[in-house]
Amino acid sequence: MKPASLEYVRPRSMEEALAVLSDETANAKIFAGGQSLGPMLNLRLTRPAKLVDIRHIPELKAVRADARLCSIGATFTHAELEDGAIEDFTRGLLPYVARGIAYRAVRNRGTVGGSLAHADPAADWVSTMAAIDATIVIRGQAGERRVPAQQFLAGAFTTELGDTELLTAVELPRFSAAARWGYYKVCRKTGEFAKAIGLAIQDPKIGLFRILAGSPEGRPALLTRSAETLATRGAEHAARDAREEIEEVLPNLAPAHRQQLIAAVQRSLGQILLVEAA
Amino acid sequence: MLSVSLTVNGRPVTATVEPRTQLCELLREDLNLTGTHVGCEQGVCGACTVVVDGKPQRSCISYAGDSDGCSVITIEGFDDDALMEQLRDAFSRHHALQCGFCTPGMLVTARDIILRLGETGAARIREELSGNLCRCTGYVGIVEAIEEVSKGKVARAPQTVVAAIEGTVAVRPVDAPMKPAVPPNRPAAPTASAGVGARKGWSSIEQRLAVGFPPEIVWNRLSDIRQVSFCLPGAEITELQDDRVRGRMNVSLGPIKVALNGDGNVLLDAENRIGRLSGRGQDAGSGSSAEGEVEWRVLPGEASGSLILVNLSWRLSGRLAQFNRAGIVQDVIQRLASIFVTNLESSLKGEAIDETSIKPLGIWSLMLGVIRIRVARWRGRNA
Amino acid sequence: MLEVAFLRSPVAHAIIRERRKPTGFESSVVFNEDMEGVSPITTRSSIPGYKVSDYPALAADRVRFVGEIVAMCLAANRAAAEDLCELVEIEYDELDPIVTCAAGRSPGVKPLHEEWADNLFLRTSLDQGIDDVIANAPVVVELELSTARQVMHPMEGKGLVAWWDHRAGQLVVQTSTQVPHLIRIGLAECLGIPQAIIRVAAPDVGGGFGYKCMLMPEEVAVAWLAYTRKGAFRWIEDRREHLTAGANARQHEYKIKAYADNRGRFLGLDAEVAIDCGAYSVWPFSACLEAAQAGGNLPGPYDLQAYRCSTFSVATNKPPFAPYRGVARPGVCFAIELTIDAIAKAVGREAWEVRLENLVAASAMPYTNITKKFYDSGDYPASLLQVKQMIGFERIRSEPRRDAKGRYLGVGFATYTEQSAHGTKVFAQWGLPLVPGFDQAHVKLTPDGALEVKAGIHTIGQGLETTLAQIAHEQTRVPLKDIRVTLGDTANTPFSTGAYASRGIVMTGGAVSVAAEIVAGRIKSIAAHLLQVRAEDVSFRDGGIFAGEASVSYEDVGRAWYMRPDQLPDAVDRGGLEATGAYKPQVDTGVFSYASHAAYVAVDAETGLVEILDYAICEDCGTMVNPMIVDGQTIGGAAQGVGTALFEESPYDDNGQPLASTLIDYLLPGPTELPRFRITHMETPSPFSAHGLKGVGEGGAIAPAGALVNAINDALTPLNAAVREIPATPERILAAIAAAKPTLGNVA
Repeated sequence: MKPASLEYVRPRSMEEALAVLSDETANAKIFAGGQSLGPMLNLRLTRPAKLVDIRHIPELKAVRADARLCSIGATFTHAELEDGAIEDFTRGLLPYVARGIAYRAVRNRGTVGGSLAHADPAADWVSTMAAIDATIVIRGQAGERRVPAQQFLAGAFTTELGDTELLTAVELPRFSAAARWGYYKVCRKTGEFAKAIGLAIQDPKIGLFRILAGSPEGRPALLTRSAETLATRGAEHAARDAREEIEEVLPNLAPAHRQQLIAAVQRSLGQILLVEAA
Repeated sequence: MLSVSLTVNGRPVTATVEPRTQLCELLREDLNLTGTHVGCEQGVCGACTVVVDGKPQRSCISYAGDSDGCSVITIEGFDDDALMEQLRDAFSRHHALQCGFCTPGMLVTARDIILRLGETGAARIREELSGNLCRCTGYVGIVEAIEEVSKGKVARAPQTVVAAIEGTVAVRPVDAPMKPAVPPNRPAAPTASAGVGARKGWSSIEQRLAVGFPPEIVWNRLSDIRQVSFCLPGAEITELQDDRVRGRMNVSLGPIKVALNGDGNVLLDAENRIGRLSGRGQDAGSGSSAEGEVEWRVLPGEASGSLILVNLSWRLSGRLAQFNRAGIVQDVIQRLASIFVTNLESSLKGEAIDETSIKPLGIWSLMLGVIRIRVARWRGRNA
Repeated sequence: MLEVAFLRSPVAHAIIRERRKPTGFESSVVFNEDMEGVSPITTRSSIPGYKVSDYPALAADRVRFVGEIVAMCLAANRAAAEDLCELVEIEYDELDPIVTCAAGRSPGVKPLHEEWADNLFLRTSLDQGIDDVIANAPVVVELELSTARQVMHPMEGKGLVAWWDHRAGQLVVQTSTQVPHLIRIGLAECLGIPQAIIRVAAPDVGGGFGYKCMLMPEEVAVAWLAYTRKGAFRWIEDRREHLTAGANARQHEYKIKAYADNRGRFLGLDAEVAIDCGAYSVWPFSACLEAAQAGGNLPGPYDLQAYRCSTFSVATNKPPFAPYRGVARPGVCFAIELTIDAIAKAVGREAWEVRLENLVAASAMPYTNITKKFYDSGDYPASLLQVKQMIGFERIRSEPRRDAKGRYLGVGFATYTEQSAHGTKVFAQWGLPLVPGFDQAHVKLTPDGALEVKAGIHTIGQGLETTLAQIAHEQTRVPLKDIRVTLGDTANTPFSTGAYASRGIVMTGGAVSVAAEIVAGRIKSIAAHLLQVRAEDVSFRDGGIFAGEASVSYEDVGRAWYMRPDQLPDAVDRGGLEATGAYKPQVDTGVFSYASHAAYVAVDAETGLVEILDYAICEDCGTMVNPMIVDGQTIGGAAQGVGTALFEESPYDDNGQPLASTLIDYLLPGPTELPRFRITHMETPSPFSAHGLKGVGEGGAIAPAGALVNAINDALTPLNAAVREIPATPERILAAIAAAKPTLGNVA
């Protein structure tokens, strides 16, 4: 199948992009790499009148950092993160996650910001950014606002982002040398959408203890109680609590699916234990 | 039409094409470079992989516009490439192709694997090759061929690291989201998959709402169909005559925007306090149609209050129905149901419906305008 | 050239109430009623009780599956043609769809085709006497099994370009097909025009697997356009069309009762097989080939003395069933192999032992089995013992049942025998409109001493260009580099029914051998004359024709016949240096290839994921013309078998909507999901075919589901769980575990 008719525009600056987007009647759609959008365009499931290609806006490809935080521009590709094209602030987590996204040819073009804005709950960055307590930076004509990644996603394919706004960057905490993380995906196939994602982070230096259960069907769940256990009693106990907490916070999941989610979370915690043991 | 200039296999090319033209179409149809094969147009199979600005990419999910200014190398452009020559030879010797359809994409990916990783073992080759599907060979010959050619090769130097600009990153604390969080899931009956419940082929979700008004009052309010429809995000009744309605239901799921136009029926059973609004509509764009129904029952609740049972059920056909991720549709309907119940509650209490509560379901701005006006009017009437 | 896009039905079952073309596009949109004089695709069969279904290229007044063609839209390019599709208005009055075999067989169901008395294309029963066994067998095992609907998914979909050649006065159809000569016959029948004015050619075909061995409605529609409008038209199937309108294979349901003695010796088999046949019969293989194959092949390679089987070919609101690589046998092999393992479990023995005792022994060959199949040769038990050795069965059994990650380990086996190159008698029995006879090939030495081989069969990636050249070389010793093979064009190849049923190397290989032998004899006699010796004194050697040390080249011989006839003897054979040979084996009920597969798997009981740790195959396809190609066919088939076993599924919802319309929904095994298959060969030449050849194209796909699910169930033995449905998805495996261990269910 081929896309429905559309126009293509290539803004060269943020101002130009926002100006194009500001026309609410234009039915414009941001094109940040097109690796999720492309198939939907081809299938005519999405029919924007205008594709706004933001890959040529220099500000969207900037990296900024201070002692506590760092900010990554929206149009860095998964492959660039995988290859370490930007300094690794997360002790290997981001490159590891990047390498597991789809396939290399897709990673060469798909972008971090594009994936977040697309908000497929099965996508890796959606869960990862929520788990590491990242902040999503949004620009509109009225200015900039910053929203915690966990609140950015409202549900499947639905985000905080307005039609006239642009996701410009992601701000991440800078992990300390003491940071440990675990990331476990349940996938039937390499590159396939995950059936379940488990993510655990423990960085006592910066006080970051987070555990997340990501499911392909809706907003990922932060397991706050288990995370407290992780902070106070360690990964082994947290793994035990996680089972119960998943059953509590995600009561409507099919049994098989819940079991996969529990396994994913427990195994991500297991990875922390392994690193600690090493 | 769009005029684009790019470099293809080292040659500058200019073409005037529709912006929707896929890069692979541009290559095959306009430039007659038919070595690039189109296998799925879904970005999965990898047959159409070409090198764009030095990196393998899918040519089925990039388009004429975004290819403007790029340098593209197709399989035809590797005739004189030394590494590709080794690969072609190894592919032949290892019986790495049968029908040959996947081969151009395989070779482009294989070459990239070796350039990037140098000498590589079979397990990593298999992982790197997972974006290229072959239906004939079972990959054994392909993996062996690549492994053999990779022997003794050295990985290309890693790309330069983009330096971080030093400076304060977060200048101020985070903002509260503009859109309120989605109403929490109320104690819901397990989402019924197809077949459960009264009708075959339908799915449904039930929500309960306890309110502090007696059933008669609640029923009276809920007998006004227009008012009920205002509580349902995206619903718009354009005509209402006796038990017949015409209208629109707008739902969006990320970039997918569906406008179902159609008609329906209203049933109000005052005796049993059951109301039902059902409709059927078509979305011309996606060639899909949907049937949906909202049913509300008002029952006596605790302490002279009421219990409202709300059931949303639906049945989809056409392109939108043909995905294996039923959970996502359920997530949407679940949220739709939650918002509906929240709005119902607000309206019963005489509060304004928060128009932004509708937004998470992506009713785009035009629609929002309509709803805003209607909500205002409704409030006026009820005042 | 205009591009065609088809508007397809979004609903599974409906009466078309109204259809409207967009104003201004009346001639760019084609409906059924515009195709005057075109006959529907109709497949007749001489089997009693078989019901005919008319399958119009474009739906008439009714649609019977999602994806059925309703209108044909023409435009300058595909995108514009799809735009046009969106403007066509069709109004449907929906009818209740039949989405399962059970629904389609239920009493009182309204038949899918109004004129039918019930909803079955065909019902067959075969009873070879089982009552005694039922009364006396000490061990009874009952199983209910099912296999999912699949697509065949060649990487290149279907597609064709058709044009009217004004000079030749001929309709030229370039189509991606396995059976060009059959397509010409089918098109002529549907369009009502003489075959002589149709040329069907299939250049390179990007995989077939059975999907391209039938006449497709798209071929009829686009050829009709070219013929009536005297222009050029193209349609290329896209992946969405393939995944939805092409979901046409593999879906079976089995109810099995197996009877055995206390050692697990098979005493009898009582089975019921239902095939989810879809809405129409495909031409020429019909909706009933699958059931015929299933009922006839269920006993497999086993020595079975009592057998009863009923088959139900059920009409459903799904795409019409077609023969996919292995045709029914991946299903029956899965069924019988799970049955063997269930018997073994019931009698408390290892499955391989029970299997071994039940296999037809080498000493019994040739062996006529209970369904009258003539197993020509081979040593089935030896192949089983070989894979048992390869997979390291004893080592596996001596090790813990769980690995370091806590996964459950299991090993499973499957053995099958595959009828290949079955010929006239078999197809006539099946009552099909197509009955293959002799295959023909044409061989010619050119004036410059090269060899041209032409055959009507087609190559779809199975390497016939190589193997047929090898056979021609074997006879003539013309160097391989000088042999050119031309296939798949009705204008310049002799007739063949085409590439299906693992018949290429046996049938066309045989024909090439016959033709090349004739030409070789004539080369020798001309060479002998040139060398002034007797024909029996010359021999082929080192790329030339020798008599002692004196020699002439193939070019000398070619030049003599074509350009210097003055050098020829008076008694020279008037046939010259070209000949058409025809071949079918002495026994044309087919030659039986066979193999045993062994799989070693790890099952993650928490996630339901399966990893194939090792996979061993021992196969026997008789004389191997080219071992590399035999390996390629076997491994490629096995890869598809892994798809059947673990990944591939086209589910439908209760409304008859297909739920896998993208490759995100329909999972194909990729390089990380497939093992590095290990193969060994046995080579038992068939006593009944030229050079002892047997077919090898399909076999690899037959056994993996049986071997893998047996391995999974072996792994799950400690949990007392068993999977009975394929693909064995994580959900099905977790469900099987939960069903066996209620406590797990409570946790969930």
